[in-house]
Amino acid sequence: MAIKLGEKVAVETLTFELSTPTELRLGGTLSTPTAQTEFRRLLQDLHAQIVAARTATFAVNVQDLSFVNSSAIRTFVDWISRAAHAGYTLAFKTSPSVTWHRLSFSVLKSLAPATVEIVETAREGASP
Amino acid sequence: MSAAPQAERTLNLSRHEAAVEDARRFAEGAVSYCTPECREAVTLAVCELGENLIKYSGSADELNAGTIGVSVEGDRVRVRAVNRVHSAEDAEAVTEIVNKITASDIRELYRARLQELFANPSLPRAQLGLLRMAFEGGFRLSCSFEAPQLQIIAERACTGA
Repeated sequence: MAIKLGEKVAVETLTFELSTPTELRLGGTLSTPTAQTEFRRLLQDLHAQIVAARTATFAVNVQDLSFVNSSAIRTFVDWISRAAHAGYTLAFKTSPSVTWHRLSFSVLKSLAPATVEIVETAREGASP
Repeated sequence: MSAAPQAERTLNLSRHEAAVEDARRFAEGAVSYCTPECREAVTLAVCELGENLIKYSGSADELNAGTIGVSVEGDRVRVRAVNRVHSAEDAEAVTEIVNKITASDIRELYRARLQELFANPSLPRAQLGLLRMAFEGGFRLSCSFEAPQLQIIAERACTGA
């Protein structure tokens, strides 16, 4: 799936947008096989774009991604593995108020500390 | 196998494309008055158990994959999944995983599984659902088997409901 800069795409309850050439914003929830298939395809295409553009650091804003199934966690693991082999960094922008962000991304970082950065920021409009 | 609590809300999970999304909405409705942390945990548990039921339970010819119940009693919330399994061996495999989760450092167990997936991208199954329920959801898991039905129970605190 080719994703155009600034175009917000929805697959069922999942949304994604290439907000800048080096940042992907994800939102909503990911719980169905169709959304999972599109999500996996999107990340594979993005990986190819990142490698072709020789991007050193790519940001993934998941602050509005409130729920994902285990298949999506596995997809993040696969992306981190490909990024580690290709030599670029993934900077995940997470929200401290979302439990799965707080717990799972710290474990994901431990898989490849030189490849994964976590930028934890409260969501705009979120209560303290 | 323990009976359903009186206040349990139950979903019959059918086998269709949007079934897990239905389960997610069911979970949100069942604990809508609970804390955000509890709602997030219950949604995770219902979705992960629902996905497992659809993937692994009974026969694909059966219309329903099983049932998922949610109940809140005092400061505890309980998620209960019941389904038919193909064989006693399948039930034993689940029991083994649940026992391992209960007896282990759950963060380390979760990290070890992600490490396996990281090192072996071709592994066919993620097998993260029960681990996430215990690690991210803070649930204590238990299971029981009375052929052909397998029951998994996930319980945790739900303060501030």
